[in-house]
Formats: sequence, C-alpha cells, structure tokens
Amino acid sequence: MKSSYKYRQAFASGIGVNNPVFVQILGICSTLAVTNVLKNTVVMCAGLVFVTGLSNLTVSVLRQYIPGRVRMMVETLIIAAWVILVDIALRAYLPDISRQLGPYVGLIITNCIVMGRAEAFALSNPPGLSLVDGLASGIGYSYVLLAIAFARELLGSGSIWGFRVLGDWWVNWNLMVMAPGGFFMLALFIWVVKGSFLKEKQEAATGAGKPAQTAPAQTAPAAAGAQGGKS
Amino acid sequence: MSAKQAKQSKLGQSLFTIFFMLAVTVVFISALSLIHVLTRERIQLNEGLVLKTAVLYAAGLAVPTDALEADRLYDRRVREVRDPQGVLRFYEILSPDGEAASYVVPVLGAGLWGEIESVVGIELDLGTLTGIEFVKQNETPGLGARITESWFKEQFRGKRFPLSVVPEREEAGGQEFQAITGATNTVNAVQDILNVRLAEAERVIRER
Repeated sequence: MKSSYKYRQAFASGIGVNNPVFVQILGICSTLAVTNVLKNTVVMCAGLVFVTGLSNLTVSVLRQYIPGRVRMMVETLIIAAWVILVDIALRAYLPDISRQLGPYVGLIITNCIVMGRAEAFALSNPPGLSLVDGLASGIGYSYVLLAIAFARELLGSGSIWGFRVLGDWWVNWNLMVMAPGGFFMLALFIWVVKGSFLKEKQEAATGAGKPAQTAPAQTAPAAAGAQGGKS
Repeated sequence: MSAKQAKQSKLGQSLFTIFFMLAVTVVFISALSLIHVLTRERIQLNEGLVLKTAVLYAAGLAVPTDALEADRLYDRRVREVRDPQGVLRFYEILSPDGEAASYVVPVLGAGLWGEIESVVGIELDLGTLTGIEFVKQNETPGLGARITESWFKEQFRGKRFPLSVVPEREEAGGQEFQAITGATNTVNAVQDILNVRLAEAERVIRER
C-alpha cells in the first residue's frame, strides 16, 4: 500500500507539480531547438523518456558503489552510453528518422533533465522508484514539448505532421519556426499553466505562511529568497 | 598509528575511486562496442541504400519501396564511372537495353550550417536536369531543411542550368526554381552549388 503510493507520487510529481520544463525550467535548450516540427519532437521525446528512465535505473542500481567524488563522471558515462545506444538503434532500424534528426539524438546527453534526475533522485532512491521517476520526468517533458511543437508547426508551416492542414490563405509565421518562436510559445505555456493549474498550490503556500504575516519585514525577504531559488 | 591508518585508508579510497571509474568505463565501452560491431553491417547497408535510391530518384526512375528491389534496379540500370585512382566521378544511367540514357553527378557544397550533399541527374545534352535528391544536409528544420520536401525537389525536373531563383509559389521559367520563404541563405547556397558544380561535371563528362 505504502510503496504503491510512493510510486504514484513519484509519477505524478514528474508530470505535474514537479514538471521538469515548466516548474524546474530544465531542458529548455532542446525545448527551443526541436519543437518547430512535430515529427522530430516525437522521436526526441521518445528518446528522452527512454534515456531518463534507464539512466535513472542504472545510476540507482550502482548508487551504493559510486564514490562521491566521481559520481558526476559516472552519471555522464551512463547517460552517454544509453544515448549512444538510442543513436545506434535508430541508425540501424529507423534510418529515415535518424537522418532527419541528425545531431539532435546525440544532444540528449546534454539535456539537463537526465543529469538532474540522476543527481537529485536516483542517487538516493531504490531502482524501481528511480525508473518511475525518470519515466515520469520524460513524459512530463514530452507533453509540454508536443503541445509547443503542435502550435509552432501549425502557425509556422500551416501543417501538422508534415501534412498541410491550413489552406493557401494561411501566411506562415516564420518567427514560429525560428528560435524566438520557441521562446514565445514556452513563455505562454508556462504563463497559462502557472496561472490556472498551479494556482491552488501557490494559494496553499501563502495560506500556510499566514501566521507569519505579523512580521512582514521578515517574511518578505524570505519569500523573495525562495522565489529566487526556484528560478 | 591511527594517523598512518587514516592515511592508508585515504589512499585506499582514492585507489578504489580510480579503479571504479576505470572498471565502469571499460564495462560500458565494451558493451557499446559489441553492439556497434553487431549492427555495423546493417547500418552500412542502410547508408549505402540511401545513396543508391537517391541516384535512382535523381535519374527520374520509379524507386521501388522494397530495399532489395531497389538494390537490384540500381545494379541493372546504374554504372559507376571512376577515375584511374578509383574515385567515383559520376554515374551513368543505362536504358533497359544497356545504352547510356543520362548521367547522375554527385554535387557537394557549403550550405548555411554544414555541407549539403546531393546527387543531380542530367540528360545526355549535359544541360537539362532529370532530378535532384539531397543525401545529407544540416539546414534549419522547418526552414532550410525544406529543400528535402517533395515539391522543392520535383520542380527541378526538366529545368536547364545555370539556374536562378524566383519567390516561393511564383511561376518559375525553364531556367528558374522556386525559393523557400525564410530560407534565403540555404536556397542561395543550393543555387550556387548547382551552377558551379554542374558546370564542372559537364567538363568532366565531356573529357571522358
């Protein structure tokens, strides 16, 4: 009972309240880079879910043996190994997609989410739970990217999955296909999610802080500090 | 004594750290190398087939979707022409009864972000294009990378070089092709590469 609750919580946190993209603001580089075409985004997301899950699992299995001083080197090695495996698999069995993605697959190594979850979660939790956490972080990352890619491809190319859905009357917004479009869409996404879905959590936090309001001079800097820490 | 012991255990820890790192590295690299060796043949076959189907497409032949059939069609209809050193110069496309029907030349040059590698088919007059296929490119996805879209490649069939550019969705003449909006640098690169390299290829084929 208790452990299944822990699993569910680890899963839900990666998707919602602890989402890597819009709460932790991690993995932004690839969010901006690959989301202009939906097809590339899907493969990138699948690769990332696979790599975060399995690198978390591997780090967790080895966590009792990894010496503290070289833990980051070991983590990087494990992540790189899984990413190279994905790259080889794509080149051998899905050559067309591999050709289209080009350098993006290799860039999963530099995705901060993978390292972040290995460092923050897998090093101090059992393998099963770490696997779930990794998969959840990957899925949390994926649905944000897919939503952004959907909007960017639709507005930027007038198409979805390469098929033209908007008629000839549609003038493509080139801005959407370029990097600034990624910034705008991501900012809008974070704004909407934080404004409407994560509101309750913030209210709860301020509610808990209410008794401290008798000393506003003290809480104000503390709150500012907490906010600075978050970003 | 205890200080000495502490020193020893510290040394032991450092040695363990180094040993651990080495061991992990060896294990992971061996595993990846094994997988690499196991899939190498398949990957090479895939990469070879990419070039073969590209040549067939550029020559204006119907490319079979089945890999083996495409391979067989290539063996039947394409002859690779090499210089005395064995370097590939161009491809001769044979008609069904074995006579030279057209040529396909490899055309490479600098794009916006990296090298653009393509194969271009030309007819026996050495001036009319039968088609183009991009084998390798690293242009911006959604902008420059649209050179690999079908409409962009198909428009080259029957055009004569030297080529120039007209805006996207505008009527293009016999020596013009449509650009891609927002990808001016890539399109200009394609235009320059084609004009320079095709003139060179024309000379090479005539010299033979």
